[in-house]
Amino acid sequence: MVMKFASTRRKFLSTTTAAGVVAIGAPFYLRPGRVKAAEGLADGMVGGPTGFAGAERYQYGPDSPEGRAIEAARSLKAAGKAPERIVLGLSDGSIGQITQPFPAGAPSIKDLWEQETGIKLDIVGVPNGQEFTKVMQDISTNGGAFDIYAVEWNRLGDLAETGGIVNLDEYVAAHRPEWDDVDRGYVGGEKGVSLLNNYRGSTYGVSLDGDFQTWNHRTDLFSDPKEQKAFADKHGYALAPPKTWKEHDEIAAFFHRPDEGLFGSTDLRNQGWGYTNWYQRYVSMASPNQYLFADDGTALINSEQGVAATQEYVNSLAHHSPDAISWSWPEQYGNFASGGAAMTCAFSNLPKFLDNAANEGSKVTGKVGSHLPPGRVHGDEMVRRSVLWLNLSASVSAQSAHPEAAYLLLQWLGSSRIYSWMTANPGGYFDPFQLANFADPLVRETYHDYHMDVVRETVRRTVPTINYPGATAFHNALDENLVAALTGSMTPEQAMQNTERSWKRIARRVGEEKLIEAITANKAAWSDHMDPV
Amino acid sequence: MILLLLAISLVPTLWMLSMAFKPIAEWSASGAELTWWPKSPTLDNFRFIFGQSSSELIVSLERTAARPIMASLLAASFGTLIAMTAGTAAAYGLSRFGKGSNLPLALIQLRLFPPMAVMIPLMIMWAFLGLIDNWFGLAVVYGIVTLPFAFWLMKTFFDDMPREIEDAALVEGCSRLRVFTRITLPMMRPALASSALFVFILNWSDYLIALLLTTRDWVTIPVYMTSLSSSMTGQLYGAKAALGLIAAIPPVILGIAIQKHLVRGLTFGALKE
Amino acid sequence: MSEMSMEKAELALPATNDVIDEEVRLGFWLTLPAQCLVLFIAVFPILMQLYISMTDWSPLDGIPWYRAYELWIGLINYTDLASDSRFWAALWRTFVVMIVCVPIQFLLGLGLAVLFVDEFPGKRWFYSTLLVPMMVVPAVAGYMFFLLFQSGGPVNDLLSVFSSSPVRIAWLSDASLALVAVMAADIWQWTPLMFLILLAGMISVPQDQQMAAVLLGASWWRRFVTIVLPRMKTIIIIALAIRTIEIFKIFDTLYIMTGGGPGVATETISVYIYKVTQQDLIWGYVAAIALVILIVLSVVSAYAISTMSKGAKVR
Repeated sequence: MVMKFASTRRKFLSTTTAAGVVAIGAPFYLRPGRVKAAEGLADGMVGGPTGFAGAERYQYGPDSPEGRAIEAARSLKAAGKAPERIVLGLSDGSIGQITQPFPAGAPSIKDLWEQETGIKLDIVGVPNGQEFTKVMQDISTNGGAFDIYAVEWNRLGDLAETGGIVNLDEYVAAHRPEWDDVDRGYVGGEKGVSLLNNYRGSTYGVSLDGDFQTWNHRTDLFSDPKEQKAFADKHGYALAPPKTWKEHDEIAAFFHRPDEGLFGSTDLRNQGWGYTNWYQRYVSMASPNQYLFADDGTALINSEQGVAATQEYVNSLAHHSPDAISWSWPEQYGNFASGGAAMTCAFSNLPKFLDNAANEGSKVTGKVGSHLPPGRVHGDEMVRRSVLWLNLSASVSAQSAHPEAAYLLLQWLGSSRIYSWMTANPGGYFDPFQLANFADPLVRETYHDYHMDVVRETVRRTVPTINYPGATAFHNALDENLVAALTGSMTPEQAMQNTERSWKRIARRVGEEKLIEAITANKAAWSDHMDPV
Repeated sequence: MILLLLAISLVPTLWMLSMAFKPIAEWSASGAELTWWPKSPTLDNFRFIFGQSSSELIVSLERTAARPIMASLLAASFGTLIAMTAGTAAAYGLSRFGKGSNLPLALIQLRLFPPMAVMIPLMIMWAFLGLIDNWFGLAVVYGIVTLPFAFWLMKTFFDDMPREIEDAALVEGCSRLRVFTRITLPMMRPALASSALFVFILNWSDYLIALLLTTRDWVTIPVYMTSLSSSMTGQLYGAKAALGLIAAIPPVILGIAIQKHLVRGLTFGALKE
Repeated sequence: MSEMSMEKAELALPATNDVIDEEVRLGFWLTLPAQCLVLFIAVFPILMQLYISMTDWSPLDGIPWYRAYELWIGLINYTDLASDSRFWAALWRTFVVMIVCVPIQFLLGLGLAVLFVDEFPGKRWFYSTLLVPMMVVPAVAGYMFFLLFQSGGPVNDLLSVFSSSPVRIAWLSDASLALVAVMAADIWQWTPLMFLILLAGMISVPQDQQMAAVLLGASWWRRFVTIVLPRMKTIIIIALAIRTIEIFKIFDTLYIMTGGGPGVATETISVYIYKVTQQDLIWGYVAAIALVILIVLSVVSAYAISTMSKGAKVR
């Protein structure tokens, strides 16, 4: 009954706007769409943006993931099986990439989709950090407010278990998104697709992000001869972006001058984000990786390595802002923009926003560099690791009346041509993650050449955070104990002991068998890349 | 002494005031230099939240503050109306004819109870009724959670009011209801005004309930305010402060309008002899 | 009080059946809307919470709440709660905030009220200014206080005036100081209300008795303690009760300022419930917490009110 009520309300909502949509959408649709757009399309292309130099890179032929998605959406529309509108719930900060035209002369992504398919795209902004909350609310109350949810990739397992999102296997088979394309697709091919979009062997999400945590530094400081000399005199080696954690800590300490408004390194230490930086230190403790769980599901964090990583993590507060524990990324970005830090670790979009001539508030434009994550020497090789964390990923709501149309939108949006065009737009948070994105000139312009290559190499050294059922609970438990260690109310030993105890409890609740299967699948995606010393 | 207290109490307010006119470089949550007073004052923060900023500095603003302001006004006003109507009626009914009702106690318990603790059933109920993300749905919750205040404030006034006037009218043959609407209520205007202001402020301030019960069309000022952040500059403190300043206008105007009655309005009738 | 007036009314009016009937009917209809609203908000939530508190239901399980019986666990949530140290710590913390903030707000409010009873130049202006914090939306207050308490922020800047070296206290990153910071925010925002209520009470104390006392040569302090304060007893109780009730639910400003952190250092009961609801998502457990709080509050408030109304009758 609840379901019925919700769906009639949805119908009511859509009919009230139907008139407007038909009026705008119909002319484009009835005369196969692209009367205006077609002028600018390259030979053999059936759709895509026009009106700017290089637009042909984002146009597609009939036998491409984008082309198939558009054709399928049109035939749904012709058969009367398409909705008037698709409602997409999305974090506030990402909407711009879909609604703002980029570059000059181009249509917006939203306009292009509506023009080509006649299906209206309705984007509902969700405050950053509230994505999962809002989705859980919609699922548990049968709210039916969205056709598509966009949430952190870590939650995919949890969401799939609720039954609130649709298994997309059938649509993937029918419309062939080619996510594993060797030239254009996900890094790591099939393995990458499985990591980002699948849960227990089925597709539940479509990745729309590349949140590989990446390191940045201030080139003006690192290349200043005075600093170089002072550093070499003190430490006996040349000042350069750090390769090991030891170097990192020394360089951070060297640049840490709070009285001059400069902190050594501002990788986050707060609840909810800080543990991604703990991960990096922890995972590189063994070769090829120090895992979180053994293959039989035993937690490995309450160990010598876990305690050592935690101890380092706590010690590193010395070269942070005194407010580090209360800073989240908005403060981190603001501080870096005002020239307040020598190094930081952030989403790969930091240079796009802060090394940006249009950003009048940034004092670091032209002074940002990127480097690979620091690591540790094991034998004659070095392990350098970063983590994949957050990463917006879109799923189709089980309450959607038109799941296929919603999926087609995601296939179109998440395929390499449209996605490259979208991620190049500086108006939002969607970051590059496909091979085609890293190579795209427009993306490289927005994200900068120096950064794009480092990101691609960082991806090769990345391990995933927890993305199986209980992810939220596992992370919360770790998080709380790490913060307790940071504030000094617990020793690193106690923090790791407590985390292990909580993890055991959570594992029992999730079901150990299910968990072991998921841990093994997750582990397959861990990087085993080694660097020379 | 009083000056010192006043000065301390003014610091956060002035901080907000100054923040609202500061350009981004001076917000300085994290930089080294602290700016007390805007060095180059600007109206950009206000322009920005109403979608008229020419600056490309800030990541797209998909929604201007206009609609949340309207949502807040509607939900808070209507919530106040619900609380005041039901509260006044119940207060009068109980003050004049009630005996042994457990309503007063129930209302106190209602106010005592943290709204957070009933949010799950409330969300489920509201979704079922189609009241999620709906100003009316929000107003009903506001009306209910502030009902106890409306009731207790008004009840003490009615208890306080001399009955002779009403009795005289009754003797002259007016009906009870007529006495209430034509004689009692007009006399209570100052009390109604100050109670309504108080209830309005409570509704207007709410963040938690709106956070959980609205998603898009009817987010209120506090919820909208939390979404004012961008990756270019972090939290948009200037814009938040500008919005905060605007949000202070309705309560301040109402406060000034009924200043005379404000003090008398909050005695809860505790002082009658 | 109402019973008193009722008796008077019966004496004054010819108590015909018609009038009584009309009054009963009117009384019923007038209280009906409030009754309905209370029932509306109470019945379903309480029954539902009672039901799901006996289950291990979480929205992550993928079944709607009415099928939560499939995860029946009896009273385990309640026994878990008894040993949930985080819950008790949050409750204790809320209590600490209460016993620190309420007296400070009361004393500040009372002091200010004493000053404002007498006329002095600029009183109106001072008076209006003092009330401003109450009118500031708590959400924005949360952001402003977050900035005020940064290590390079205005609070430390002001403190530096009194110290030889620059003060760089990281208020919000320090487990013990963070609580001080959020309490400061609450005191700032709600002392004005305390002041307003107490001022109202103080103004209404009849002047004649005070004048008599002055003539008898009583000191100001003596007059204040023996005449003014006793007469304000009820309003003082009301003022304290209002703030106690509201602080018990403290959330908005605090949550925006610290999110309950660092760690759990400022996690009050509402923040704790919020986190269990939105992050841990164990809703059966949340229901158990809610019911326990409801029961405790009912007992406490019923007791408090019966004591208070007894007191009122004696008076």
